[in-house]
Amino acid sequence: MSITLDFNGKNFAKGKNLDVHYLPAKIDGDGEANVKNYFNNYTREATEFGTGILTNALRGFPLMGEKLKVPEGYCGLVLQETEKPISDTSDRKLRLTGVFQDFTYWNYDKVPSNGDPYRQALPLPDVAQALSQPISEEDLEKEIARNKENVKEST
Amino acid sequence: MSDQEDVVVKKEKKCIENIDENDEEPDDVDFKDSGKISSLKALGPFIAGKENSRNTVYLSDVPDICKDKPCMLGVDEAGRGPVLGPMVYGISYCPLESNKALEDLGCADSKQLTEGKRDIIFNDINTKEYATSCVGWAVEIISPNTISTSMYRRSKCSLNEVSMDSAMGLIQQAIDAGVNIAEVYVDTVGPPEKYQEKLLKRFPSFKITVAKKADSTYPIVSAASICAKVTRDHALKVWSFPEGLVIKDNEFGSGYPGDPVTRRFLTEYIDLVFGFPRLVRFSWSTAENALADKAYDMEFDEPDSEKPKYAGTKLTKFFKGTTKSGEIIREECRFFKQRHLESVMEF
Repeated sequence: MSITLDFNGKNFAKGKNLDVHYLPAKIDGDGEANVKNYFNNYTREATEFGTGILTNALRGFPLMGEKLKVPEGYCGLVLQETEKPISDTSDRKLRLTGVFQDFTYWNYDKVPSNGDPYRQALPLPDVAQALSQPISEEDLEKEIARNKENVKEST
Repeated sequence: MSDQEDVVVKKEKKCIENIDENDEEPDDVDFKDSGKISSLKALGPFIAGKENSRNTVYLSDVPDICKDKPCMLGVDEAGRGPVLGPMVYGISYCPLESNKALEDLGCADSKQLTEGKRDIIFNDINTKEYATSCVGWAVEIISPNTISTSMYRRSKCSLNEVSMDSAMGLIQQAIDAGVNIAEVYVDTVGPPEKYQEKLLKRFPSFKITVAKKADSTYPIVSAASICAKVTRDHALKVWSFPEGLVIKDNEFGSGYPGDPVTRRFLTEYIDLVFGFPRLVRFSWSTAENALADKAYDMEFDEPDSEKPKYAGTKLTKFFKGTTKSGEIIREECRFFKQRHLESVMEF
C-alpha cells in the first residue's frame, strides 16, 4: 500500500489556521468535539501561577496550561483521510485540512515547566538533524584526512 | 436564552406575590446597582451575575450590634449529596441575647421547612427591621466545577476538606468584617470530634459545638441552613449553560442521584468527548458510571496516591523480557519512553 499526502503550495496557504490543544489524556474515540462550547469557553488565566498560565478542566480533571509555539523551522499540519481504506493493502490518501503555528499545551494538575515530557522532547529535532543530514564529500574528505593525522601521531 | 430568563422572571413573580401577602410595605429597593442582596428577589439576579464555574462568596452587611455584643454563629450547608449543581455553605450570626428574633423569624420551628417557607424566612431576614438590625449572614457557592477538580487533583482533596475549608473561610471573613464571635455551632461533616478539634485549632478563643442535626437543635444553625438552601435553590433556577444548552431548571430535577428526572438528564445530555455540562459533578460515581456506559473512555495519569512506592529494582526485571525461545525483548530506550515518543507504524 502507499500513502499519499495531498498538499502543495496552494493548499498550504488555504489551510485553516487551527486552535489546537495538547491534552494530557488518552481518549478512546474518534469524531467531532464541541471544543468551543464545552472547553474553550472555560479557559481562564491563572496569574497566581505565573504569566501566561491558563486553567481549565476536562471531565472534572484540573488542567493547567500555556500557549506554546511550534518549534522554529517546523510547522503544524492537520491531515485528514476522507475515504476509509477498503483493506489493509489499499492505497491511502491524506488531505491537508489545517495548519497551526501555536497550540495550547495542558498538564494534568501541574504547572507547565521544563520538566514536562513535551518540553524534554523538543531537542529531538536537533538530534534527528544530526543523525540524518546528508554528509557532503568535502566533510568526508576532511574526516579521512583527520584519521590519517591520528594514525601518524599514534605511531 | 431569553425564554430561560422569562421563565425565571415568572417564577420569581409568583414567589414575590406569595410574600407580598405577608408584607405590609411594598419593596422598592433597587438591588441590581448595589450588588447587595436586600431581599429574596435580589438573590437570583445576584447569582446570575456571577460566573458559575467558579466559587462565589457573599457577605451581608454586619449589623452594628454584632460588632459590639458577643455573638453566636451557626454553620450549615446545602447540596452536599446531589450530582448536579453547587454545594452552598452558609453562616448566620446574631448577638447571644437575640434568640427572640430567631424565634420570630421561624428558625426555632422544629418542623421540616418547605421551600416556600424558607423563601419567606430568607426574605424576612433581609427586609424586617427586627432581623436586619441584629442578624447577619454569608454564603459560599461552591461550583460543581470546583468540586470535581478538587476531588480529581493529583493530591486528592475530599469533599469533607472542601466543606471544612469553606466553613472556616466564611468564619474568618465574618471575623475580618468585624463580627464579635463568642460561640460557634456547626452541623457536622464527618466525625464531630475531629471537626471540632480542627475548628478549635484554627479559632482557639471560641466556644465551639459540632453536632449532628445541629440545624434542628440550634436556631442560629437553622438560620444558616435556610440561607444556604435558598441560595442553592436560586443558583439552580438561574443556572445558565456556557455550553450553549437551553435547559429549564425543571428539566434536570432536584439534582439528587435518586431523582428519575436527574437520571434522565444525565443520560440525554452526555457529550461523547467532554462528558457533561459543568453543572455536573464529574467525580460522583453516578456521573462516572453514566460516562462509562455511553461516552468515549478517557485516561489520565494516575493521581499521586495511586502510584506505587519505589522499592528498589525488582529481581524479576532481569527475566521478564525473555521469551520461551530465550530471546530478549528489547525495551524502548528511556530517552524516548520518558518523552512519550514512539515510532508510528499504523494510524
